[in-house]
Amino acid sequence: MLNELANLINKNVPSAKAVVNVAAEAKADSSITVDASSIHAVAKFLRNNSEMPFNALQCVSGVDYVEWMEVCYMLANFDVNAPHELILKVKLTDRVNPTVDSIVDVYAAANFQEREVYDMFGVTFKNHPDHRRILCPDDWEGFPLRKDYVYPKNYNGMEVFPDNKMNFEDREFIVRQDMIKKAQEASSTKQ
Amino acid sequence: MQTRWDVGEPEKPTINKDTEQLKSELLRLNMGPQHPATHGVLRIEIWTDSEIVAHAIPHLGYLHRCMEKHSENLDYRGVIPFVDRLDYLASMNMEWGYAMAIEKMLGTEVPRRAELLRILTAELQRIASHLMAFGTYALDLGAFTPFLYAFEEREKILRLFEEVSGARLLYNYIWIGGLWNDWTDDQIARVSQFCDNMEEEAKKYHDLVSMNKIFVQRTANVGIMSVQDCFDYGATGPILRGAGYKWDLRKNKPYSLYNEFDFDVPVGTGEVGVPGDCWNRYIVRMKEVIESIKIIRQVIEKLEPGSIMGKVPKIIKLPEGEIYSRSECPRGELGFHLVSKADGKTPYRLKVKSPCFTHTSMLPHVAPGQMIADFVATVGSIDIVLGEVDR
Repeated sequence: MLNELANLINKNVPSAKAVVNVAAEAKADSSITVDASSIHAVAKFLRNNSEMPFNALQCVSGVDYVEWMEVCYMLANFDVNAPHELILKVKLTDRVNPTVDSIVDVYAAANFQEREVYDMFGVTFKNHPDHRRILCPDDWEGFPLRKDYVYPKNYNGMEVFPDNKMNFEDREFIVRQDMIKKAQEASSTKQ
Repeated sequence: MQTRWDVGEPEKPTINKDTEQLKSELLRLNMGPQHPATHGVLRIEIWTDSEIVAHAIPHLGYLHRCMEKHSENLDYRGVIPFVDRLDYLASMNMEWGYAMAIEKMLGTEVPRRAELLRILTAELQRIASHLMAFGTYALDLGAFTPFLYAFEEREKILRLFEEVSGARLLYNYIWIGGLWNDWTDDQIARVSQFCDNMEEEAKKYHDLVSMNKIFVQRTANVGIMSVQDCFDYGATGPILRGAGYKWDLRKNKPYSLYNEFDFDVPVGTGEVGVPGDCWNRYIVRMKEVIESIKIIRQVIEKLEPGSIMGKVPKIIKLPEGEIYSRSECPRGELGFHLVSKADGKTPYRLKVKSPCFTHTSMLPHVAPGQMIADFVATVGSIDIVLGEVDR
């Protein structure tokens, strides 16, 4: 099904360069990756075509693969006769300032979902009508779900993990974990 | 005789040039985060023109507990208690949705008895959740009594869950591969007793609330979300069914053993109001309670003794890949997008698609032109749980 769909996308949106990612394991889901610059055209095509329409966007999810960023669009067709779903992906190679076109004018559901991806991963969505943080406070710094995120030591005058309020057992645990880690590293270097 | 109020021609108001130059502007009001009608800590910024809402802007995040970030540092079993706390009124359904995603990736076969008992608990939880929705919705509209009736029945379900799992609200009961604990025959008998009682009670609720004149006037033709709106915004569950569209994952994309069961998918037909209004969303929930009872009765017939835990490795390691798994929750479709790295003991990325988050995004679309009181009715009718919106 995905191969047909990829061909269909390539035929109608030539700039999309749709590629099918076949899952290595049969249990996992396969997906389609399209070129980042063409996402708006692809979304518009997928919504309005007659052969395999997708009438609803379920969610937009971001994944940080350290070398690159990925934005996944979970599309579905809520049709009793032809229920199908698709994971549509966009690969963003610029990890510092990832930018992609917004698809809010195609699927209204994308509004909040894209805001969440911006909030958590710092992906900028061009032409988004209300481009703000959604779950974190507006003055929050950094993007929490990036793999290289370091949590702030101080937020608005509040100290994170203040020494006098730390649970002693917790601290013990952390120290012990550190010791175990160091011992393991030492033993692995010996070998 | 000159009456007191007969004072001749009224004096013509002198038009003050300054008053003409006064500008009128919208009044900005905060509804929440501590507002009884927002079911938790939702803050909605409403711009009103006297009593009429011009814009409504939801501000989320007051209950944001970084669940997705936490789960990246926990093993696959350790995530389950966090998943519980998403939708704290329907924890069983949440756990099941998560367990199902992991089981699909792992290829675990869940024993038949465990699957049946999962359906039993999930449907009981659906009834409990819908009872809560029923009670608090009536409370939002100013009727206090239905709340007490609803809690009486809900309490019976919570007692059963407490006996079975050890907790009243946050269970950690459905585990990867099966269940934590088995139900005894005595408990099953009590479930069927509860079903008989519940059917009677449901009739009482209909008499008390559904066709109540005040209730109908407050909810019929209010907050209309059409089928097209639902598709645009990705709404599911009672919102989509209330709009008159027959879509239920349990029927249209059956997971677990749901294809063995005989039940209907109730939709809003517009017997009062029009499909897609608050009343139709409400009545869909009430009809779903009856359908859940039907399913529970069939489960009890099919139950056979057997194992309740499948074969799961001691340390769960998923193969490399990703999965998007959906299940039908009381509030709509719950999705888990799980990305795992090869031999990773923790999820590389776990994204929760929560139905209430989607439904909250519909509020700015529905609100303009409503009275403030009607807006309260609309917020109540999407049965919002903030734990799930903010995660």
